[in-house]
Amino acid sequence: MSTVSPPAKPEPVVAPWARPFWDAAAKGQLALQQCEDCSKFIFYPRVACPHCASERIAWRTASGRGTVYSYTVVENNAPSAFIADMPFVVAVIRLEEGVQMLSNIVGCDPDKLRCDMEVVVTFERLNDNFVLPKFRPASNS
Amino acid sequence: MSRTRGKTAIVGIGEIPTGRYPERPAISFALDAARMAIEDAGIGKDEIDFVMPTGALFSGQFNTELVTCRVVEELGLKNVVGNCQVFSGGSSSTNGLRMASALIETGRAEAVLFVHTDKLGTGVSSQGGIDLFSTAGISAEWETPYGQHYSTVAALTTTRYKYETGATDEHLSAVCVSNRKWAELNPNAFFRKPLTLEEVMASKMLSTPLRAKHSNMLLDGGAAFIVTSAERARDLTDTPAYVLGEGGAVTHFAFHQEPDLTRFGWAKAAQQAFGEAGLTPADIDVAEIYDSYPIYQLIAFEELGLCGRGEAGEIFLRGDTWPGGRLPTTTDGGMLSKGHIGAGGSVSLLVEAARQLMGKAGERQAPNARFAVETAVGGTYMDAQVTILGTEIPS
Ligand SMILES: [Zn+2]
Repeated sequence: MSTVSPPAKPEPVVAPWARPFWDAAAKGQLALQQCEDCSKFIFYPRVACPHCASERIAWRTASGRGTVYSYTVVENNAPSAFIADMPFVVAVIRLEEGVQMLSNIVGCDPDKLRCDMEVVVTFERLNDNFVLPKFRPASNS
Repeated sequence: MSRTRGKTAIVGIGEIPTGRYPERPAISFALDAARMAIEDAGIGKDEIDFVMPTGALFSGQFNTELVTCRVVEELGLKNVVGNCQVFSGGSSSTNGLRMASALIETGRAEAVLFVHTDKLGTGVSSQGGIDLFSTAGISAEWETPYGQHYSTVAALTTTRYKYETGATDEHLSAVCVSNRKWAELNPNAFFRKPLTLEEVMASKMLSTPLRAKHSNMLLDGGAAFIVTSAERARDLTDTPAYVLGEGGAVTHFAFHQEPDLTRFGWAKAAQQAFGEAGLTPADIDVAEIYDSYPIYQLIAFEELGLCGRGEAGEIFLRGDTWPGGRLPTTTDGGMLSKGHIGAGGSVSLLVEAARQLMGKAGERQAPNARFAVETAVGGTYMDAQVTILGTEIPS
């Protein structure tokens, strides 16, 4: 019997101006842009502030705390590279800094997931090139 | 009165039954649908002076043929000034109608043929379809690496909507049942066997709380419509479907950027469309609501003002949207029962809205259909679009 190995996990296709985000993730830090003119935090990284169009943008280290805006447990029909991971959790996280990001929730019994539950960032190595920020329940910390 | 209300009309429609056609080339769906639309409009083929083939997703090479005028050549259209692809995924119908109307209103075209074909049923494998839709319209940097795909997108909206409104699995499943009741009456629909609430709720879980029968199926198909000026429309037919109002709101590219995952831009789009048409939601006789997953049909129905927030599920459950109900909704069976044919999902709904107003819907004809609303949206529900058509022009 022959087995077909699953395709490699897709790597983030990195925009040049987002490179600092991935470099920070590799060091276990969640980095966000902040506009120096309107003070708003920005995610995902942009070439200019999407609120006021300023180009004066600085990188900050985020608190890593947020809440679950919504979540789903993938049980069937995942993309090829993710079939072996099922069940896994995809979630939209609302970070304390006021931005939203997509991620996975790890280290949580799927039955315990709730909208608006508190989560904290954790880091998982994808491969030699990338570390992905993920989230786990804050109560486990 | 609005500057654009009732200035153009859909005068001809064509559609092939949604299905699995491994032996038929994708171009044939476009040619058949276009020829039906030309015949339905009762115009000569050489009156068509602008062609808008929308995008086909199954093959980049084939799509390039659509871009480079294959439809014009195959049909032998002699007076076409431009062939230009208008493509915004699932909202292509509305954007096509908007562009066609603008060309006609400004005198740049007389008769526009909009045509769709795709072969997502037999042109790609089943797993290939899942993989295609884990990248098409999904951010390659910020979402694909986390396993995002269209089931998770729909599930994320469903989870939050249930949390905020108290909607139940029965409410979501009722959308599938309602749409199937219409598909039973539609010879162009793929799934025509009666479907029960219990069958939907017993189907395989995909991404919680989304089940297999909450999910559309990718199939082959094609449809076309012809737009012309209101004056020319009245020469051609007694039953033009006038374009009364349009509205839209682009809210995101990457799904996680959407500020309100349970509302999107529908309310703003609807306000524009109803304002331009000079109508209110109470005037609507037929609602063709985009339904790639049941949650989006519930949300759009509510945000359009056809009922209040959190009330749509009960309305679908008790049958108000079924054949014979108070507000016939998604009367071709939608993507959930007619089948998902890519950008054609909303092209079918727009063609169905026109068909109902033209009185050509056969067994599923809605009685006294004067005003119809159609919704369409592309990508991960990035650009809520609302179109209102009518058999008469409100003064
Ligand atoms: Zn700013």
